[in-house]
Amino acid sequence: MGRWQALLWLGPSLALIAAVVVYPAVALVRASLSRYSITGLYQGSVGAANYARLLEQEALATVVANTVIWVAAIVVLTVVASLGLAQLLNEDFPGRRLVRWALIVPWAASLIMTSKLFVWLYDYYFGILNHVLISLRLVAAPVDWLGNDATVMAAMIAVGIFVSLPFTTYVVLAGLSSIPGEVYEAARVDGASPWRTYRSMTLPLLRPALLVAVVLNVIYVFNSFPIVWTLNDRNPGFAHDTMITYMYKIAFKSSLRDVGLAAALGVVNVLVILIAVVLYVRIISWREAEA
Amino acid sequence: MLGAAAGVLLGACDRGTERPGGAGGGKSITVVIAEYSKDHTKPFWQGLAEQYTKQAGVKVDLRIVDWNSIDQQVSTMIQNNQPPDVLNLNSFSSYAKDQLLYSADDVLSPKTRDDFIGAFARGGEYQGKLYGFPILSSARAFFYNKDLFARAGVAGPPKTWDEFVQTARKIHALGGGVIGYALPLGPEEAQAEWAIWMWNNGGDWKSGDGWAINSDKNVQTLRFLADLANRHRVTQINPGKTNRTDGAFQLFKDGKVGMVMGFSPLAAQLDAEKKVRYGVAEMPTAAGQAVTLGVEDYLLAFKKSGNQDAVKQFLDLYYQPENITRWITAEGFLPVTRSGLSQMSSNAKLKPYLDALPNAKLAPTTDPAWDRVKLDVQQNIGLAVQPGGNPKQVLDQLQKNAVAAASAR
Repeated sequence: MGRWQALLWLGPSLALIAAVVVYPAVALVRASLSRYSITGLYQGSVGAANYARLLEQEALATVVANTVIWVAAIVVLTVVASLGLAQLLNEDFPGRRLVRWALIVPWAASLIMTSKLFVWLYDYYFGILNHVLISLRLVAAPVDWLGNDATVMAAMIAVGIFVSLPFTTYVVLAGLSSIPGEVYEAARVDGASPWRTYRSMTLPLLRPALLVAVVLNVIYVFNSFPIVWTLNDRNPGFAHDTMITYMYKIAFKSSLRDVGLAAALGVVNVLVILIAVVLYVRIISWREAEA
Repeated sequence: MLGAAAGVLLGACDRGTERPGGAGGGKSITVVIAEYSKDHTKPFWQGLAEQYTKQAGVKVDLRIVDWNSIDQQVSTMIQNNQPPDVLNLNSFSSYAKDQLLYSADDVLSPKTRDDFIGAFARGGEYQGKLYGFPILSSARAFFYNKDLFARAGVAGPPKTWDEFVQTARKIHALGGGVIGYALPLGPEEAQAEWAIWMWNNGGDWKSGDGWAINSDKNVQTLRFLADLANRHRVTQINPGKTNRTDGAFQLFKDGKVGMVMGFSPLAAQLDAEKKVRYGVAEMPTAAGQAVTLGVEDYLLAFKKSGNQDAVKQFLDLYYQPENITRWITAEGFLPVTRSGLSQMSSNAKLKPYLDALPNAKLAPTTDPAWDRVKLDVQQNIGLAVQPGGNPKQVLDQLQKNAVAAASAR
């Protein structure tokens, strides 16, 4: 009886999980094993052929490399910057409340809007960035940030960091405020320098917060679509795509126009992120056990 | 766990083979229309849907979808076995090939069919039958900035490619960030820009029934465009990475550009902003006769059990001359029917485009392979005009892919 009652209580959430997690996952796997016409019409099962074809795609190596750079650069730089920002916001200073609120803005704004805004900031002819850099004599001539192959990725990563900072900073800030004051008092009594205190006290005690920040950011940045899509939409080919935008292009915007192949990449994407996160958590807990 | 997953999988497969019963009772139809403008598209179709529901007693599930996501949304609908009943799109032949559509014989009255302008009716045919019903058309024209022309001492718009290059150089030489010609070969609409240059050098997409994308003429044309960018240096920066709407048009609207290929919606924006004094002319040509690009969009009627009458009535209502012409006029596009043409020919603003219409060519939309070729051109032709790009190599690859697409099932 008790068991059935429990099921009754769990029922709605189980149904929700089945509808928004299990069903799409099953549909994705099924699509990856199928062939579709360019119109989207189902044309039968093809087994693992889509996965084999995926490996034959010339652009795949570039796209995978882009994805690694995209995720690693944004997560590392965001976490480092957030450590500093959170430290600052943890101090008491006039206007702190205002700064804390301001930090939320890039988080609250829609990613598409933010990306469009940056498209105009970066613009070769109208963009304010070139204007500022030239006035400061940092560059001699305007730079086509989004059209120059050497600068596109960096320009996109900068936006990625900008929108990832608020969340990460708040996670670190929460971690900081959970460290009891006595710890610092003890350090001061022992005569530890501020840097020593930070390295030996603050950072180790922030570990749980950083774990959360890194894992969630890796997933979030890996799956991020709007920034790369919007800032890179002018560029031909796949030279600056990540695995997520590449998947979309395979399905709808390239001459492949193949939903089955895109679904295969979708399944691979889920596995990649799953493996990456499990590995990371394993390594962290293993190192913790060592320590 | 595995067993449960397999069970769901099988269940999902079963669902997949069911025929759609969406409009079975004839109670409602789904109509998907692309958004041509924020101001006019939705009001017109909403009004039409209300009128239709009153007449036919059938409800309309109207969806206005923006161009960027329409392919994706339609594909998803078809994957889920829930195609719309009526769809507005810029392609049709792949859908006809997949046997998803009614032909004109099934759902258009003879009066409606006879009213179509011949070229546009032919542009909607697949294997001798009309499946892509013309909904509206547009034509590109050559826009030039009169003030910049005057400052550079150029008397009028160039007629030949030689004159074009000289004009572009003179305007670019004005300096101060002025651009001779804005060349958008980025993914948004590269196939349109390319087609106009290609045709005006005597080249074409196809020769007979086969693809001829890498013909000598076309290689010559693409080299010419690459030279504009890299040798004469009369274009904006990175033309292979510039889109039309937020790139070339934006620069022209800002008065920075001497010449650009435009169309009537650009004219409407320029008229509204009143910032640039512009003229509209024929395309410069190296082939003797100026050719422009005509674009035809379509209405597709999806075959679903029990929806034929409802769809027929809906199409009949749209194609009543007062309805179709009212909408096309509001959107600033060009007619696809004889009755519309005779009504709109008195409109002075449309004159340059209507004049160009007899010499307009359409993209090979009647070939299902075009739906892939178009995307391939959009994604790749820009690479040819980048510094160090190789026009011949790019066209060879496009040709190879086109041939493969044509032979694919």
